[in-house]
Amino acid sequence: MDSSDHTKVAILGAGRGGRALLDLLHQIPSIEIVGIADRDPAAPGLQRAQELRVPVMIDVTTLIGTQGISLIMDVTGDPEMEMYLRAHQPPHTDILSGSASRLLWELVQRESKLEAELLQAEKLAGIGSFAAGIAHDINNPLQLIMGLAENLAEEQNLTAVHEQAQDIIEAVRRTSAICRDLTRYSRRASPHEDVPVSLNGKLDEALKIARYASSFHDIEMVKRYQPGAAVKGNPDELLHVFVNLITNAVHAMEQVGGTLTLETHVLDGQVGIRISDTGSGIAPDKIPEIFEPFFTTKVPGKGTGLGLYNVKTIVNKMHGLIAVDSQIDQGTTFTLTFPKVESAEQGCLS
Amino acid sequence: MSEYKSGFFVGGEACNGRVLVVDDEPDIRKVVKMTLQKAGYDVLEAENGEKAIETINSGENRLMLDVMICDIRMPKVNGIEAIAYFRSNYPHVPLIVLTGFPDTDMATSFLRQGVVDYLVKPVEGEKLRSAVARAMEQRELARL
Repeated sequence: MDSSDHTKVAILGAGRGGRALLDLLHQIPSIEIVGIADRDPAAPGLQRAQELRVPVMIDVTTLIGTQGISLIMDVTGDPEMEMYLRAHQPPHTDILSGSASRLLWELVQRESKLEAELLQAEKLAGIGSFAAGIAHDINNPLQLIMGLAENLAEEQNLTAVHEQAQDIIEAVRRTSAICRDLTRYSRRASPHEDVPVSLNGKLDEALKIARYASSFHDIEMVKRYQPGAAVKGNPDELLHVFVNLITNAVHAMEQVGGTLTLETHVLDGQVGIRISDTGSGIAPDKIPEIFEPFFTTKVPGKGTGLGLYNVKTIVNKMHGLIAVDSQIDQGTTFTLTFPKVESAEQGCLS
Repeated sequence: MSEYKSGFFVGGEACNGRVLVVDDEPDIRKVVKMTLQKAGYDVLEAENGEKAIETINSGENRLMLDVMICDIRMPKVNGIEAIAYFRSNYPHVPLIVLTGFPDTDMATSFLRQGVVDYLVKPVEGEKLRSAVARAMEQRELARL
Protein backbone atom coordinates (compact mmCIF):
# COMPACT_ATOMS: atom_id res chain seq x y z
CA MET A 1 0.00 0.00 0.00
CA ASP A 2 1.25 3.49 -0.83
CA SER A 3 2.08 5.39 2.34
CA SER A 4 -0.01 8.36 1.13
CA ASP A 5 -3.13 6.19 1.65
CA HIS A 6 -2.36 6.08 5.36
CA THR A 7 -3.73 8.37 8.00
CA LYS A 8 -0.62 9.50 9.83
CA VAL A 9 -1.19 9.74 13.54
CA ALA A 10 0.99 10.99 16.39
CA ILE A 11 0.28 9.96 19.98
CA LEU A 12 1.20 12.22 22.87
CA GLY A 13 1.30 10.50 26.23
CA ALA A 14 2.43 6.91 26.72
CA GLY A 15 0.66 6.07 29.98
CA ARG A 16 -2.12 3.48 30.10
CA GLY A 17 -4.24 5.52 27.66
CA GLY A 18 -1.42 5.96 25.16
CA ARG A 19 -0.54 2.32 25.35
CA ALA A 20 -4.10 1.13 24.79
CA LEU A 21 -4.47 3.52 21.88
CA LEU A 22 -1.24 2.24 20.39
CA ASP A 23 -2.47 -1.36 20.57
CA LEU A 24 -5.78 -0.46 19.01
CA LEU A 25 -4.52 1.79 16.21
CA HIS A 26 -1.75 -0.62 15.36
CA GLN A 27 -4.36 -3.20 14.30
CA ILE A 28 -5.91 -0.85 11.74
CA PRO A 29 -4.05 -1.22 8.43
CA SER A 30 -5.00 2.27 7.12
CA ILE A 31 -3.41 4.00 10.11
CA GLU A 32 0.30 4.72 10.36
CA ILE A 33 1.55 5.72 13.79
CA VAL A 34 4.39 8.13 13.06
CA GLY A 35 5.49 8.24 16.67
CA ILE A 36 4.66 8.42 20.34
CA ALA A 37 6.10 10.80 22.89
CA ASP A 38 6.14 11.04 26.66
CA ARG A 39 8.12 13.10 29.13
CA ASP A 40 8.61 10.02 31.29
CA PRO A 41 11.10 7.65 29.62
CA ALA A 42 9.72 4.78 31.77
CA ALA A 43 6.11 5.23 30.53
CA PRO A 44 4.62 1.78 29.68
CA GLY A 45 3.51 2.86 26.20
CA LEU A 46 7.09 3.63 25.17
CA GLN A 47 8.22 0.08 25.73
CA ARG A 48 5.18 -1.21 23.85
CA ALA A 49 6.02 1.19 21.01
CA GLN A 50 9.49 -0.31 20.76
CA GLU A 51 7.99 -3.78 20.56
CA LEU A 52 5.66 -2.65 17.79
CA ARG A 53 8.51 -0.77 16.08
CA VAL A 54 6.78 2.59 16.42
CA PRO A 55 9.23 5.52 16.69
CA VAL A 56 9.62 6.82 20.24
CA MET A 57 10.31 10.51 20.73
CA ILE A 58 11.05 12.63 23.76
CA ASP A 59 10.59 15.95 22.04
CA VAL A 60 6.96 16.86 21.29
CA THR A 61 7.92 19.62 18.84
CA THR A 62 9.77 17.18 16.57
CA LEU A 63 6.91 14.69 16.68
CA ILE A 64 4.12 17.12 15.82
CA GLY A 65 6.31 18.62 13.12
CA THR A 66 6.46 15.29 11.25
CA GLN A 67 5.71 15.73 7.55
CA GLY A 68 2.19 14.81 6.37
CA ILE A 69 0.77 14.21 9.84
CA SER A 70 -3.03 14.35 9.83
CA LEU A 71 -4.02 13.68 13.43
CA ILE A 72 -2.45 14.38 16.81
CA MET A 73 -3.96 12.43 19.67
CA ASP A 74 -3.18 13.94 23.03
CA VAL A 75 -3.81 11.55 25.89
CA THR A 76 -1.52 13.23 28.40
CA GLY A 77 -4.45 14.75 30.29
CA ASP A 78 -2.23 17.78 30.79
CA PRO A 79 -4.01 21.17 30.28
CA GLU A 80 -0.67 22.83 29.46
CA MET A 81 -0.12 20.38 26.61
CA GLU A 82 -3.60 21.15 25.33
CA MET A 83 -2.78 24.86 25.27
CA TYR A 84 0.61 24.28 23.67
CA LEU A 85 -0.94 22.19 20.90
CA ARG A 86 -3.61 24.78 20.24
CA ALA A 87 -0.89 27.41 19.83
CA HIS A 88 1.32 25.25 17.65
CA GLN A 89 -1.24 23.35 15.58
CA PRO A 90 0.37 22.47 12.23
CA PRO A 91 -1.74 23.24 9.12
CA HIS A 92 -4.04 20.42 7.82
CA THR A 93 -3.72 18.61 11.13
CA ASP A 94 -6.53 17.74 13.51
CA ILE A 95 -6.01 17.62 17.22
CA LEU A 96 -7.81 15.34 19.59
CA SER A 97 -7.38 16.39 23.19
CA GLY A 98 -9.14 17.30 26.43
CA SER A 99 -12.62 15.82 26.90
CA ALA A 100 -12.68 14.32 23.38
CA SER A 101 -9.59 12.29 24.13
CA ARG A 102 -10.98 11.26 27.52
CA LEU A 103 -14.12 10.01 25.79
CA LEU A 104 -12.00 8.09 23.30
CA TRP A 105 -10.05 6.53 26.15
CA GLU A 106 -13.33 5.38 27.71
CA LEU A 107 -14.37 3.80 24.42
CA VAL A 108 -11.03 2.09 23.94
CA GLN A 109 -11.23 0.63 27.43
CA ARG A 110 -14.77 -0.56 26.84
CA GLU A 111 -13.80 -2.16 23.54
CA SER A 112 -10.92 -4.09 25.04
CA LYS A 113 -13.08 -5.18 27.97
CA LEU A 114 -15.82 -6.38 25.63
CA GLU A 115 -13.30 -8.29 23.58
CA ALA A 116 -12.02 -10.05 26.69
CA GLU A 117 -15.58 -10.79 27.86
CA LEU A 118 -16.55 -12.29 24.50
CA LEU A 119 -13.51 -14.51 24.53
CA GLN A 120 -14.17 -15.67 28.07
CA ALA A 121 -17.88 -16.25 27.38
CA GLU A 122 -17.12 -18.40 24.37
CA LYS A 123 -14.45 -20.32 26.25
CA LEU A 124 -16.77 -21.09 29.16
CA ALA A 125 -19.61 -22.07 26.81
CA GLY A 126 -17.21 -24.48 25.11
CA ILE A 127 -16.16 -26.12 28.36
CA GLY A 128 -19.69 -27.54 28.67
CA SER A 129 -18.88 -29.78 25.73
CA PHE A 130 -15.83 -31.10 27.60
CA ALA A 131 -17.98 -32.92 30.16
CA ALA A 132 -18.06 -36.29 28.38
CA GLY A 133 -14.35 -36.19 27.63
CA ILE A 134 -13.41 -35.16 31.15
CA ALA A 135 -15.66 -37.81 32.71
CA HIS A 136 -14.08 -40.45 30.49
CA ASP A 137 -10.54 -39.34 31.27
CA ILE A 138 -11.09 -39.05 35.02
CA ASN A 139 -13.29 -42.08 35.59
CA ASN A 140 -11.07 -44.48 33.68
CA PRO A 141 -8.03 -43.92 35.92
CA LEU A 142 -10.38 -43.94 38.92
CA GLN A 143 -11.62 -47.37 37.88
CA LEU A 144 -8.04 -48.58 37.68
CA ILE A 145 -7.26 -47.09 41.10
CA MET A 146 -10.38 -48.66 42.62
CA GLY A 147 -9.68 -52.11 41.20
CA LEU A 148 -6.02 -52.09 42.15
CA ALA A 149 -6.64 -50.76 45.65
CA GLU A 150 -9.28 -53.44 46.27
CA ASN A 151 -6.83 -56.03 45.10
CA LEU A 152 -3.97 -54.62 47.17
CA ALA A 153 -6.04 -55.09 50.32
CA GLU A 154 -5.61 -58.84 49.81
CA GLU A 155 -2.51 -59.13 47.64
CA GLN A 156 0.12 -61.46 49.10
CA ASN A 157 2.80 -61.15 46.45
CA LEU A 158 5.12 -58.27 47.34
CA THR A 159 6.31 -57.71 43.77
CA ALA A 160 2.71 -57.41 42.62
CA VAL A 161 2.03 -54.95 45.46
CA HIS A 162 4.89 -52.74 44.30
CA GLU A 163 3.84 -52.83 40.67
CA GLN A 164 0.23 -52.07 41.41
CA ALA A 165 1.08 -49.25 43.81
CA GLN A 166 3.19 -47.76 41.02
CA ASP A 167 0.24 -48.07 38.60
CA ILE A 168 -1.96 -46.23 41.11
CA ILE A 169 0.56 -43.40 41.40
CA GLU A 170 0.69 -43.12 37.60
CA ALA A 171 -3.11 -43.06 37.39
CA VAL A 172 -3.32 -40.27 39.98
CA ARG A 173 -0.72 -38.26 38.05
CA ARG A 174 -2.71 -38.65 34.84
CA THR A 175 -5.89 -37.52 36.55
CA SER A 176 -4.34 -34.47 38.15
CA ALA A 177 -2.85 -33.46 34.79
CA ILE A 178 -6.40 -33.18 33.42
CA CYS A 179 -7.34 -30.63 36.09
CA ARG A 180 -4.12 -28.72 35.52
CA ASP A 181 -4.65 -28.50 31.73
CA LEU A 182 -8.24 -27.43 32.10
CA THR A 183 -7.72 -24.78 34.75
CA ARG A 184 -4.94 -23.30 32.66
CA TYR A 185 -7.26 -23.22 29.68
CA SER A 186 -10.34 -21.87 31.43
CA ARG A 187 -8.64 -19.00 33.24
CA ARG A 188 -9.08 -15.51 31.89
CA ALA A 189 -6.30 -14.61 29.46
CA SER A 190 -3.93 -12.28 31.26
CA PRO A 191 -3.96 -8.88 29.53
CA HIS A 192 -0.98 -7.49 27.62
CA GLU A 193 1.23 -10.44 28.30
CA ASP A 194 3.07 -10.57 25.02
CA VAL A 195 5.91 -13.02 25.15
CA PRO A 196 7.62 -15.32 22.64
CA VAL A 197 5.50 -18.46 22.31
CA SER A 198 6.64 -21.78 20.84
CA LEU A 199 4.05 -22.78 18.27
CA ASN A 200 4.81 -26.49 18.32
CA GLY A 201 4.44 -26.67 22.09
CA LYS A 202 1.26 -24.63 22.01
CA LEU A 203 -0.27 -26.83 19.29
CA ASP A 204 0.44 -29.94 21.37
CA GLU A 205 -1.09 -28.31 24.43
CA ALA A 206 -4.18 -27.37 22.39
CA LEU A 207 -4.44 -30.93 21.13
CA LYS A 208 -4.69 -32.20 24.69
CA ILE A 209 -7.51 -29.76 25.48
CA ALA A 210 -9.34 -30.41 22.20
CA ARG A 211 -9.49 -34.12 23.02
CA TYR A 212 -11.92 -33.35 25.82
CA ALA A 213 -14.24 -31.43 23.51
CA SER A 214 -14.47 -34.01 20.78
CA SER A 215 -13.85 -37.61 20.08
CA PHE A 216 -10.58 -38.24 18.22
CA HIS A 217 -11.54 -41.84 17.51
CA ASP A 218 -11.05 -42.73 13.87
CA ILE A 219 -8.92 -39.63 13.33
CA GLU A 220 -5.40 -39.98 12.08
CA MET A 221 -2.96 -37.33 13.33
CA VAL A 222 -0.17 -35.95 11.19
CA LYS A 223 2.27 -33.43 12.66
CA ARG A 224 4.77 -31.57 10.49
CA TYR A 225 6.52 -29.23 12.88
CA GLN A 226 9.49 -27.08 12.00
CA PRO A 227 11.61 -26.80 15.12
CA GLY A 228 11.95 -23.32 16.59
CA ALA A 229 8.75 -21.88 15.12
CA ALA A 230 7.79 -19.05 17.49
CA VAL A 231 5.63 -15.95 17.53
CA LYS A 232 5.08 -13.12 19.94
CA GLY A 233 1.74 -12.92 21.66
CA ASN A 234 -0.40 -13.84 24.60
CA PRO A 235 0.11 -17.60 25.23
CA ASP A 236 -3.42 -18.07 26.68
CA GLU A 237 -5.02 -16.44 23.68
CA LEU A 238 -2.94 -18.39 21.21
CA LEU A 239 -3.89 -21.62 22.99
CA HIS A 240 -7.51 -20.62 22.57
CA VAL A 241 -7.01 -20.03 18.83
CA PHE A 242 -5.50 -23.48 18.35
CA VAL A 243 -8.08 -25.30 20.51
CA ASN A 244 -10.80 -23.65 18.48
CA LEU A 245 -9.37 -24.51 15.07
CA ILE A 246 -8.49 -28.09 16.05
CA THR A 247 -11.95 -28.67 17.55
CA ASN A 248 -13.61 -27.37 14.40
CA ALA A 249 -11.42 -29.61 12.27
CA VAL A 250 -12.29 -32.70 14.33
CA HIS A 251 -16.00 -31.85 14.30
CA ALA A 252 -15.87 -31.61 10.50
CA MET A 253 -14.68 -35.24 10.41
CA GLU A 254 -16.95 -36.49 13.20
CA GLN A 255 -19.11 -38.95 11.28
CA VAL A 256 -16.61 -40.44 8.88
CA GLY A 257 -13.16 -40.01 10.44
CA GLY A 258 -10.23 -38.59 8.52
CA THR A 259 -6.83 -36.98 8.88
CA LEU A 260 -5.96 -33.97 11.02
CA THR A 261 -2.72 -32.31 9.92
CA LEU A 262 -0.88 -29.74 12.02
CA GLU A 263 2.02 -27.95 10.36
CA THR A 264 4.36 -25.14 11.30
CA HIS A 265 6.96 -23.53 9.10
CA VAL A 266 9.32 -20.57 9.16
CA LEU A 267 9.94 -18.73 5.93
CA ASP A 268 11.31 -15.28 5.06
CA GLY A 269 10.75 -13.66 8.42
CA GLN A 270 7.29 -15.15 8.71
CA VAL A 271 5.90 -18.04 10.66
CA GLY A 272 3.06 -20.11 9.26
CA ILE A 273 0.70 -22.56 10.90
CA ARG A 274 -1.60 -24.83 8.94
CA ILE A 275 -4.46 -26.80 10.49
CA SER A 276 -6.11 -29.09 7.94
CA ASP A 277 -8.88 -31.64 8.04
CA THR A 278 -10.31 -34.02 5.45
CA GLY A 279 -13.87 -33.44 6.63
CA SER A 280 -17.12 -32.06 5.32
CA GLY A 281 -15.79 -28.67 4.15
CA ILE A 282 -17.46 -25.26 4.15
CA ALA A 283 -19.91 -24.21 1.44
CA PRO A 284 -18.34 -21.46 -0.75
CA ASP A 285 -21.20 -19.03 -0.02
CA LYS A 286 -20.65 -19.45 3.73
CA ILE A 287 -16.90 -18.75 3.70
CA PRO A 288 -17.25 -14.94 3.77
CA GLU A 289 -19.44 -15.26 6.88
CA ILE A 290 -17.45 -17.65 9.03
CA PHE A 291 -15.47 -14.94 10.85
CA GLU A 292 -18.58 -12.88 11.56
CA PRO A 293 -19.78 -12.82 15.17
CA PHE A 294 -22.73 -15.13 15.94
CA PHE A 295 -22.35 -17.04 12.69
CA THR A 296 -22.79 -20.76 13.32
CA THR A 297 -23.81 -23.83 11.34
CA LYS A 298 -24.47 -25.80 14.50
CA VAL A 299 -27.94 -26.45 15.90
CA PRO A 300 -29.23 -23.83 18.35
CA GLY A 301 -27.65 -24.28 21.77
CA LYS A 302 -24.59 -26.07 20.38
CA GLY A 303 -22.35 -23.33 19.05
CA THR A 304 -21.93 -19.75 20.27
CA GLY A 305 -20.99 -18.46 16.82
CA LEU A 306 -18.10 -16.65 18.49
CA GLY A 307 -15.35 -19.19 17.88
CA LEU A 308 -13.86 -18.01 14.61
CA TYR A 309 -14.72 -14.39 15.36
CA ASN A 310 -12.55 -14.59 18.49
CA VAL A 311 -9.87 -16.48 16.56
CA LYS A 312 -9.67 -13.69 14.00
CA THR A 313 -9.66 -10.96 16.67
CA ILE A 314 -6.73 -12.60 18.44
CA VAL A 315 -4.80 -13.26 15.23
CA ASN A 316 -5.22 -9.63 14.14
CA LYS A 317 -4.13 -8.41 17.54
CA MET A 318 -0.94 -10.42 17.08
CA HIS A 319 -0.46 -8.72 13.69
CA GLY A 320 -1.13 -12.01 11.96
CA LEU A 321 -3.33 -13.08 9.09
CA ILE A 322 -5.79 -15.93 8.83
CA ALA A 323 -6.86 -17.54 5.57
CA VAL A 324 -9.20 -20.42 4.81
CA ASP A 325 -9.30 -22.83 1.92
CA SER A 326 -12.15 -25.31 1.78
CA GLN A 327 -13.75 -27.82 -0.58
CA ILE A 328 -17.05 -29.52 0.14
CA ASP A 329 -16.45 -33.15 1.23
CA GLN A 330 -12.69 -32.72 0.69
CA GLY A 331 -11.75 -30.77 3.77
CA THR A 332 -10.69 -27.40 5.11
CA THR A 333 -7.33 -25.77 5.76
CA PHE A 334 -6.84 -22.74 7.98
CA THR A 335 -3.54 -20.97 7.45
CA LEU A 336 -2.21 -18.49 9.99
CA THR A 337 0.74 -16.24 9.25
CA PHE A 338 2.62 -14.19 11.84
CA PRO A 339 5.74 -12.08 11.91
CA LYS A 340 8.65 -14.20 13.11
CA VAL A 341 10.12 -13.65 16.55
CA GLU A 342 13.78 -12.61 16.46
CA SER A 343 15.97 -15.46 17.64
CA ALA A 344 17.44 -13.22 20.37
CA GLU A 345 13.96 -12.88 21.86
CA GLN A 346 13.37 -16.61 21.99
CA GLY A 347 15.20 -17.12 25.24
CA CYS A 348 12.13 -17.90 27.31
CA LEU A 349 9.35 -19.56 25.38
CA SER A 350 5.88 -20.05 26.78
CA MET B 1 -27.36 -78.53 18.70
CA SER B 2 -25.76 -79.55 21.94
CA GLU B 3 -26.00 -77.13 24.86
CA TYR B 4 -22.80 -75.93 26.38
CA LYS B 5 -22.97 -75.15 30.02
CA SER B 6 -20.66 -72.88 31.87
CA GLY B 7 -19.51 -73.85 35.32
CA PHE B 8 -17.54 -76.76 33.90
CA PHE B 9 -13.85 -76.54 33.29
CA VAL B 10 -11.93 -74.17 31.11
CA GLY B 11 -8.19 -74.62 30.79
CA GLY B 12 -8.16 -76.89 33.81
CA GLU B 13 -9.58 -74.28 36.19
CA ALA B 14 -13.02 -74.00 37.66
CA CYS B 15 -15.05 -71.57 35.58
CA ASN B 16 -18.24 -69.81 36.52
CA GLY B 17 -18.75 -68.50 33.03
CA ARG B 18 -17.12 -66.62 30.20
CA VAL B 19 -17.22 -62.81 30.13
CA LEU B 20 -16.13 -60.53 27.30
CA VAL B 21 -14.85 -57.10 28.40
CA VAL B 22 -14.98 -54.45 25.68
CA ASP B 23 -13.09 -51.25 26.48
CA ASP B 24 -10.52 -49.19 24.58
CA GLU B 25 -8.42 -48.66 27.71
CA PRO B 26 -6.06 -51.58 28.38
CA ASP B 27 -5.94 -50.52 32.07
CA ILE B 28 -9.68 -50.96 32.41
CA ARG B 29 -9.65 -54.35 30.72
CA LYS B 30 -6.79 -55.41 32.96
CA VAL B 31 -8.45 -54.35 36.20
CA VAL B 32 -11.92 -55.65 35.27
CA LYS B 33 -10.36 -58.96 34.32
CA MET B 34 -8.55 -59.10 37.64
CA THR B 35 -11.76 -58.34 39.56
CA LEU B 36 -13.78 -60.98 37.73
CA GLN B 37 -11.13 -63.70 37.72
CA LYS B 38 -11.28 -63.59 41.51
CA ALA B 39 -14.89 -64.73 41.27
CA GLY B 40 -13.84 -67.58 38.98
CA TYR B 41 -14.90 -66.11 35.65
CA ASP B 42 -13.02 -66.71 32.44
CA VAL B 43 -12.44 -63.23 30.93
CA LEU B 44 -11.89 -62.33 27.27
CA GLU B 45 -10.92 -58.84 26.11
CA ALA B 46 -11.73 -56.69 23.08
CA GLU B 47 -10.53 -53.13 22.48
CA ASN B 48 -13.55 -51.90 20.52
CA GLY B 49 -16.92 -52.94 19.14
CA GLU B 50 -15.42 -54.27 15.93
CA LYS B 51 -13.07 -56.58 17.84
CA ALA B 52 -15.92 -57.61 20.13
CA ILE B 53 -18.01 -58.67 17.14
CA GLU B 54 -15.00 -60.53 15.74
CA THR B 55 -14.49 -62.26 19.08
CA ILE B 56 -18.05 -63.47 19.49
CA ASN B 57 -18.11 -64.74 15.91
CA SER B 58 -14.94 -66.77 16.31
CA GLY B 59 -14.74 -70.41 17.29
CA GLU B 60 -16.57 -71.62 20.34
CA ASN B 61 -17.35 -68.11 21.65
CA ARG B 62 -20.54 -68.03 19.63
CA LEU B 63 -21.83 -70.59 22.08
CA MET B 64 -19.58 -70.23 25.07
CA LEU B 65 -19.81 -66.51 25.73
CA ASP B 66 -22.10 -65.86 28.68
CA VAL B 67 -21.95 -62.14 29.43
CA MET B 68 -20.58 -59.03 27.79
CA ILE B 69 -19.40 -55.86 29.59
CA CYS B 70 -19.21 -52.93 27.22
CA ASP B 71 -17.89 -49.34 27.34
CA ILE B 72 -19.64 -46.69 25.22
CA ARG B 73 -16.99 -44.20 24.08
CA MET B 74 -14.69 -46.30 21.90
CA PRO B 75 -13.02 -46.05 18.48
CA LYS B 76 -14.13 -48.02 15.39
CA VAL B 77 -17.48 -49.54 16.31
CA ASN B 78 -18.54 -47.71 19.49
CA GLY B 79 -20.54 -49.15 22.38
CA ILE B 80 -23.92 -48.01 21.11
CA GLU B 81 -23.38 -49.71 17.76
CA ALA B 82 -21.86 -52.82 19.31
CA ILE B 83 -24.75 -53.18 21.76
CA ALA B 84 -27.31 -52.85 18.96
CA TYR B 85 -25.45 -55.57 17.03
CA PHE B 86 -25.27 -57.89 20.02
CA ARG B 87 -28.91 -57.36 20.96
CA SER B 88 -30.12 -58.31 17.49
CA ASN B 89 -27.65 -61.11 16.71
CA TYR B 90 -27.02 -62.59 20.15
CA PRO B 91 -30.12 -61.68 22.18
CA HIS B 92 -29.38 -64.49 24.65
CA VAL B 93 -26.07 -62.89 25.77
CA PRO B 94 -26.81 -60.48 28.63
CA LEU B 95 -25.09 -57.09 28.37
CA ILE B 96 -23.70 -54.82 31.06
CA VAL B 97 -22.71 -51.25 30.22
CA LEU B 98 -19.68 -49.90 32.07
CA THR B 99 -19.16 -46.26 31.17
CA GLY B 100 -17.18 -43.27 32.38
CA PHE B 101 -19.91 -40.82 31.51
CA PRO B 102 -23.27 -41.20 33.24
CA ASP B 103 -26.09 -40.18 30.91
CA THR B 104 -29.63 -40.77 32.12
CA ASP B 105 -31.24 -40.74 28.68
CA MET B 106 -28.72 -43.20 27.36
CA ALA B 107 -29.10 -45.44 30.41
CA THR B 108 -32.89 -45.54 29.98
CA SER B 109 -32.60 -46.38 26.31
CA PHE B 110 -30.10 -49.18 27.02
CA LEU B 111 -32.24 -50.70 29.73
CA ARG B 112 -35.18 -50.59 27.34
CA GLN B 113 -33.06 -52.50 24.81
CA GLY B 114 -32.62 -55.20 27.41
CA VAL B 115 -29.24 -54.23 28.84
CA VAL B 116 -29.02 -55.87 32.28
CA ASP B 117 -27.12 -53.19 34.10
CA TYR B 118 -25.72 -49.70 33.52
CA LEU B 119 -22.67 -49.16 35.69
CA VAL B 120 -20.65 -45.98 36.01
CA LYS B 121 -16.88 -46.04 36.50
CA PRO B 122 -15.39 -46.26 39.04
CA VAL B 123 -17.41 -49.26 40.12
CA GLU B 124 -16.56 -51.31 43.18
CA GLY B 125 -15.46 -54.88 42.61
CA GLU B 126 -18.35 -56.28 44.63
CA LYS B 127 -20.92 -54.35 42.65
CA LEU B 128 -19.38 -55.43 39.35
CA ARG B 129 -19.27 -59.08 40.44
CA SER B 130 -22.88 -59.06 41.58
CA ALA B 131 -23.96 -57.44 38.27
CA VAL B 132 -22.14 -60.21 36.42
CA ALA B 133 -23.69 -62.84 38.69
CA ARG B 134 -27.17 -61.46 37.93
CA ALA B 135 -26.37 -61.48 34.22
CA MET B 136 -25.19 -65.08 34.50
CA GLU B 137 -28.53 -66.04 36.04
CA GLN B 138 -30.29 -64.48 33.11
CA ARG B 139 -28.04 -66.38 30.75
CA GLU B 140 -28.96 -69.61 32.51
CA LEU B 141 -32.64 -68.81 32.11
CA ALA B 142 -32.12 -68.20 28.39
CA ARG B 143 -30.68 -71.66 28.10
CA LEU B 144 -33.68 -73.41 29.60
